This record gives sequence, C-alpha cells and structure tokens, in this order.
Amino acid sequence: MGPPVMPEPSILLSVKDLHAHYGESHVLHGMTFDVPKGEVVTLLGRNGVGKTTTMRSIMGIVAKRAGSIRYNGTETVGLPSNRIARLGIAYCPEERGIFSSLSVRENLVLPPVIKPGGLSLEEVYELFPRLLERAGSQGTKLSGGEQQMLAIARILRTGAEMLLLDEPTEGLAPVIVQHIGDIIRQLRQRGFTILLVEQNFHFAATVADRHYVVEHGQVIDMIPNADLAANMDKLKTYLGV
Amino acid sequence: MIMKRLMLSAAALALSAGVAQAQYSDNKVKIGILTDLSGTYSDLAGKGTIVAAQMAIEDFGGKVNGLPIELVSADHQNKADIASSIARKWYDTEGVDAIAELVTTAAAIAVREVAKEKGKIDLNSGAASTPLTNDKCSPTGFHWTYDTYAMAAGTANAVVKSGGKSWFFLTADYAFGHNLQAQTERVVKANGGEVKGSVRHPFPNADFSSFLLQAQSSGAQIIGLANAGADTINAIKQAKEFGITQGGQKLAGLLVFITDVNSLGLETAQGMVLTTGFYWDMDEGTRAFSKRFAERMNGKMPSMVQAGVYSQVTHYLKAAAAAKTDEGIKVADKMRELPIQDFFAKNGKIRADGRMVHDMYLAQVKAPAESKGPWDYYKIMRTIPGDEAFQPLAESTCPLVKK
Amino acid sequence: MMTIFGIPTQALFGQLLLGLINGAFYAMLSLGLALIFGLLNIVNFSHGALYMMGAFVAWLLLTYLGAGYWLALIIAPLAVAVFGIICERFLLSRLYKLDHLYGLLLTFGLALVIEGLFRQLYGISGMPYAVPKELQGGWNLGFMYLPIYRGWVVVASLVLCLGSWLLIEKTKLGAYLRAATENATLVQAFGINVPMMVTLTYGFGVALAAIAGVLAAPIYSVNPLMGSNLIIVVFAVVVIGGMGSILGAVITGFLLGLVEGLTKVFYPEAASTVIFVVMAIVLLIKPAGLFGKRS
Repeated sequence: MGPPVMPEPSILLSVKDLHAHYGESHVLHGMTFDVPKGEVVTLLGRNGVGKTTTMRSIMGIVAKRAGSIRYNGTETVGLPSNRIARLGIAYCPEERGIFSSLSVRENLVLPPVIKPGGLSLEEVYELFPRLLERAGSQGTKLSGGEQQMLAIARILRTGAEMLLLDEPTEGLAPVIVQHIGDIIRQLRQRGFTILLVEQNFHFAATVADRHYVVEHGQVIDMIPNADLAANMDKLKTYLGV
Repeated sequence: MIMKRLMLSAAALALSAGVAQAQYSDNKVKIGILTDLSGTYSDLAGKGTIVAAQMAIEDFGGKVNGLPIELVSADHQNKADIASSIARKWYDTEGVDAIAELVTTAAAIAVREVAKEKGKIDLNSGAASTPLTNDKCSPTGFHWTYDTYAMAAGTANAVVKSGGKSWFFLTADYAFGHNLQAQTERVVKANGGEVKGSVRHPFPNADFSSFLLQAQSSGAQIIGLANAGADTINAIKQAKEFGITQGGQKLAGLLVFITDVNSLGLETAQGMVLTTGFYWDMDEGTRAFSKRFAERMNGKMPSMVQAGVYSQVTHYLKAAAAAKTDEGIKVADKMRELPIQDFFAKNGKIRADGRMVHDMYLAQVKAPAESKGPWDYYKIMRTIPGDEAFQPLAESTCPLVKK
Repeated sequence: MMTIFGIPTQALFGQLLLGLINGAFYAMLSLGLALIFGLLNIVNFSHGALYMMGAFVAWLLLTYLGAGYWLALIIAPLAVAVFGIICERFLLSRLYKLDHLYGLLLTFGLALVIEGLFRQLYGISGMPYAVPKELQGGWNLGFMYLPIYRGWVVVASLVLCLGSWLLIEKTKLGAYLRAATENATLVQAFGINVPMMVTLTYGFGVALAAIAGVLAAPIYSVNPLMGSNLIIVVFAVVVIGGMGSILGAVITGFLLGLVEGLTKVFYPEAASTVIFVVMAIVLLIKPAGLFGKRS
C-alpha cells in the first residue's frame, strides 16, 4: 500500500515542462503548474520572467512552444488559438486590445459565444454599468479604467469557463483596482476559473487562492494564499521588493 | 576514274572561285527580326513576323549562293534604347547582316541610326511614321509595308470624296498620333474639307466617352481616329455605345489592322473604311501564302506587317544573291535595282529615299451577314496605285533624293 | 447658353456624369484593394490582372459555352475568387509576417504571369464582347446621350460599394473584419478562424475586381493588358483615400473619376497625370490620405 492519497481538486488546466521561444530567444524553460477548477490562481514574478509569454502560450499565440498544456484533458500544444479558445479559454491581454474601429457595444459582443453558460449582456451591463452608458462611443475613446472593464467584460459572455487576465490592474487608480478586485471575486463566486498575471501581490492576495512564483521562465515556488502572510519575506526576496 | 577525278577537281575549282568571287561575312547570311514580342503590337507584328521570315527563307531554299541563311529574333519591348542596343550587338558582334520588321517608330528610328552609322541594312515593316523616308532616311534603310502618309491619303481621300468634308480628330498624344493627324489634315484640306477641331488623348487611354462627346458636339461629319491598337478599339467600341454612329457621324480609323477588326468583331466594326497594304483574301497568291501562314499560327491570317516581312526578307535575299555579297551598301543598291514581284507587291519598286512603292487598298469592313467565317472581314473597294498612295518623291526631305 | 470657363454648362454636366461612371470602376477596384490591404497587409498588385481575368472569363463563357452577360456576372467573380483563394492559400499566406514589399513583389510577379499566360493564349489585341441586348440603346438626357449600359454600370457599382460598406460597418461579420484588421492575433484568440476569414476576404476583394472586369468587357477592349494600365490609377486612388480605408477608397474613387472627367474637358493632355498630381498634393498635406488614420 502506498501513502494515503489526498482528495485532489479537479485540475482544469495543467501545464507541464512548457518551453517557448520568441524568435531566437528561449523564454520559457519548462514551466510546470496546475490550475484547479474554480480557483483564482496568480502567476507572480518580476518583469520579463515569462508570465505574459505563459499566457500567450496557453492561448496558442506563441507559435513556437513545446511541452504539454492540457485543458480539461485536451492537449492544446499544436492547436491554433481559435481552436483553443473554443475549448473554453478566454483571454484578456495586458494591452487590453480594445478595437478603435469598433464601438463599445461592438467590442463587447465581438468574441463569439462558444458554449452556453456565459453571462447575458444584461448581466454584463449590471456588472459594468459604465459600459452601457458609453455603448455607442468608439472603443478607444474610453478611459484606461473603462477600457480595462470592457476588456474583461467582453470575455464573460462567451461561455468560457477559464479566464486568462494579464495584469488587469496595471496603471489604474486605486478605486478602479478595488472595483476590479470585486469583480474577480464575484466571478470566482460564479464558478469561473481564473489565471491572473500580477506584479502587485497585495492586490493578488485579495483575490487569489494560490500563487505561483515565476523566475527565468520556470515556476520556482507555489504559495497557497492562506500561507501568504507566513511567506511574505520569501516572496519579497523573489520579487525583489 | 581519271575522268571522274578531273571533274571533281574542276568542280572544286569552280566552287572555290565562286567563293572567292562572292563575299559573305562569316560565310553565311544572317537576318535578325527585331520586333515587339510581348507588348501592344505583338499580334499585328510579333511572332507572326518571325514565322513570315522563316517562310521566306525556306521558300528561298535556305541558301544564298550555297551559303546558309540564319535567322535570329529578339523582343525590343517597344523601347528605343533596347532596340538600339540589340541592333548594335547584332551588327557588331553577331554578324547580323540585316534587321527586319521594326514595329514602333521610336524603335525603328533608333535602329535606323545604328544601321546607317554602320552601313548595315534595316528593313522596316511595322513602323508607321514618315520620317523614316524623309529626315531619317538612309542609303541602307528601307520602309516596306505602309506609312502614315499612305494610310491618311487612302482613307481620308476616300472619305472626303464621298462627302465627309468636316473632320474632328481624336489623337493619341505622342509622336505617331501627331504625325498621323498632320498627314490626314493635309489630305482633308487639299480635298476641300475642313478640320473642326481635335483633342489629344493620353496614351494609352481606356475611356473615350469624354472625347467622343466633345467630337459629337463639334458637329463634324467625320471623327478621325489618329491612334492605334487598343486605343482605336476602345474608341470605336464606345462610339457605338454612345450612339455616335446612329447620330449620323462617321468614324474613320486612320490606322486599323486586321487584328483590330478581329478584336472588335464585325458587329461593331462593320461598314468602317480603312486603308491596308495587304489583305489575305485578294487573289491566288495571297491566299496560298496566308493559308500556309495560318497553318503555323493557329489559324490566324497574316496582317499586312507580317506579309510585308515575308516580302522584304525575300527581296533582301534575292539582292544579296545577285550582289554576291552581304555588304550593306552593295546589297542596298541591288535592292533598289531589282523590281519586287511577289504576292505582296505587284510591280513594287524602291525609291532613292528607301520607300518601297506598291499598291495599297481601300477596304470596307463587312457586315456580319456578309462574312463567311473567321478572318473574312474586308471588301476591297479600290486599289490605290503606289504612286498615288505614297508621298511623292519630290516632297521628300530625304537628302538622298536628288532635286 | 450659359458657360463656365468657356465650356457650355450642359457639356460640363455630361462630362461630370462620364467622370462619375469612370469613378465607378475606380471605386469597385479600390474597394477590393483597400479591403485586402487592411486585412492581409498586402498591396495586391495582381488586382488589375484579376480584373482582366474577370473580363476574359466572361468572354470565354460566351465563346465556348454560349453563356451570356448575366450568367457571366455571377460565374466570373466566383471563378476568379476561387483562383484568388488558391493563390492566397498557397502563396500569399506565406508572406503575412514579412515586410509589405514581399507581398507587393509576389503579387506583381503573379500579375505578370497571369497577363503573360493570357497573352500567350489569346494574343494582345483583345476579344470582342457586346453590350447585352437588355442594356443596349440609351437615354437622351437633354445635355447628353447616356447609354443605358453606362447607367447600369454606375448603379451596379453604387449597389456593390454600398452593400460592401454596410456589410463591413453594420454587421457582425464586418465587426470581425474591422477588428482583425487592427489586431488579428487577438481576434483569433477569441475563437474566430482568422486565416479562413483572411482567405475569404481575399476571395471577396478579388471577386469585386472580377465583377468590375465583367462590367468593363462590353465597353473597353478585352485584352490581357487592360488591367495593367488601370491598376496604377487605382493604386493612386487607394493612397489618396488612405491605405486600408474602405469608405475612403469608395468616395475617392468616385471623386477622382470626376476630377479626371473635368480634366478631359479643360486640358485633356493631363487627364492621365492629374490623379497623380492630386496624389502628390494630398500626400504633402495629409500623409495618411484623406480618410486614413495616422498610425
């Protein structure tokens, strides 16, 4: 008989030994981590350690990748990004990616609904009333905070169960950061699984279940949110703050 | 045995004497066809002129006084600089004795200058402009098939005499168009007609409706098309569309080739009067040649330019044989001396200015019902005697003409 | 009779109308070019050759199958679109990540090959194609005689341009297209098959060129080089309108038709250059073109 097996939460996304290249430069050196279903998980780390590249690799935007990324049991390395999206992953990029030639409403309804279970347009507007007020404006005429809202809002309708949020709080005023924190907690409540890239671990601590620390394209540590206070010194060393 | 040896050596002697007597550079006669193989004129000249030259050489027996005839060809892309550099290379290093065809005035004049400088032969069939036998004439240069003077004289004379007194010109805005308009105007005025106006259109030009409208409002009876190829086709097509012809005005295509008529279709082109130096369906001789030509050209009948190349190459070879040399000036003198007698030119003769004078023909395009099939396009209305068709020698500004 | 600068007003109306008709061709062709440039980032130099193919397919259909104008108006764009799609899949799609220049060179080469092939097969001087029976004749507008066919060309072009504009500006599909023009990677990451969309867009742009070709067949000489002269003007139209701007391409197309029409009255010798003069002036004042966004 082996050791007793702990009841594992079911894993929605499993990344194993992921390598990725941008042209000649080797960015990810064997990223390995799991995202359990229903959790909010962050990737913490300094600038340039490969957090965004990890997101883009999961999404299939980085063409040169090796290793394994399994979503709900399906291997996605080798699939084009549109097929990966159709499995149920939605992506909110760091640069937000609001389309200037589309109105706010058009931006909002642009990502196609891929399966049932997403939020209705009314529910989205309930979460982000500001977007309803500005529905007719050009997408890029919104303020930075509103654009971030829009970038998150538009991926909630699609029925994707997993959201990839790349630095949603970057450069935003504290009150808006707080609002985004509320939204992420509400989404967790609704059963979304969220992978979050953050530099601001104070913010991360308020929303996440666990944190992966990334350095040089590898996960070097995992800290459950409950243990964060105890590991604060270690974390500060990792992040160099 | 002895007898046989004797005969052989006698033959050898005779042969060597013959060779010593006849002077052919490189021991062969080499002809170059320099033409437009890919551009606007590649249907009316182009590959068909190479085929015509080949036929001329074959019909001549492939040899001049026992020495082989060689044929080369190149595409001058209608560019004067390309034409002159090919001509230089051919004359200087490749032993070409005569360059033939030479469509497009700019290319023709460029080659004329090279040939004149080197005392080599150039035989023009496709180029239209009259300077070739005026200011730019050369002792070794010839203009064979037609020119703007002959086209203008033929068509304009006929049109004015049948009542088309007032004219408006649509003129391609480059040297050829200007030249053609000037030649035609002269004939119109000489016959008591008047010119109501003209418009110079860009070359090339796809839409003529605007110019046609100007022509229409001029009230002229005749709209003269001093252009060629696709420009002429577009103008005629659109004149029909705009009801110009139904309105009583008539079009006169001043340089229309059979390939243009083929492209327009008889429905559109019918009734048009034009001048040509050759039509395939005139007599036994023209039909026999054209049939052989068509067999090699996917059923296409020869244009006057293509038939002209056959005639000029044949005449050159005859002269080179008679002169017993391929030296430019001597062959040229012989060419002027010998009459031209073939299916293309009946009683043709070459004047001092290099003009080969032969009969031209006034033709009218058949109606679809009159045509028995492909390429059955023309009714020959009248034969224009050579001396009437071409510019009188007395008017030539060629310095070679003794006045 | 009233005159403007010595030209009777009535004649001027006629010339303006004719300019508008030519503008219709510019608009259809530049619309396709702008669409293709926007999404594929490729300056499609083969557009003129594909326009020529449209006209030739119409002629081939008539000559070998007896299929008339109306059928050609449907079949020719489809056939040319299929050809375009094959080119896009096997050739152009390899160039998207490279500089514009490569796409330009490839499509330019493609145009030469297509034109060369047709020239080899059918010669240079062109093929006859008549105005369809239903559209023969004309209307006397008082100030000019307007052939019914020209009227049809303007109407057809306006409908096509307006339809395309509505499709692009007012539909979901159009939103995908506009979004992909800005950021194709992200649109694909939303689950949209962008490569397929790119292929179909190319097919659509090319089909527009082919329709223009069929419309042109009864009035212009149908010859292998008919597109190569036109395409330079159309490029100028796209540059003046602003690279990639759909509305800019259409409006500029019609406007330049008018400008050219007027030039043909006042100074015909300049008719072929006036558009390039306008282009130079516009580029000096607004480098991104009249409707272009500065990027």
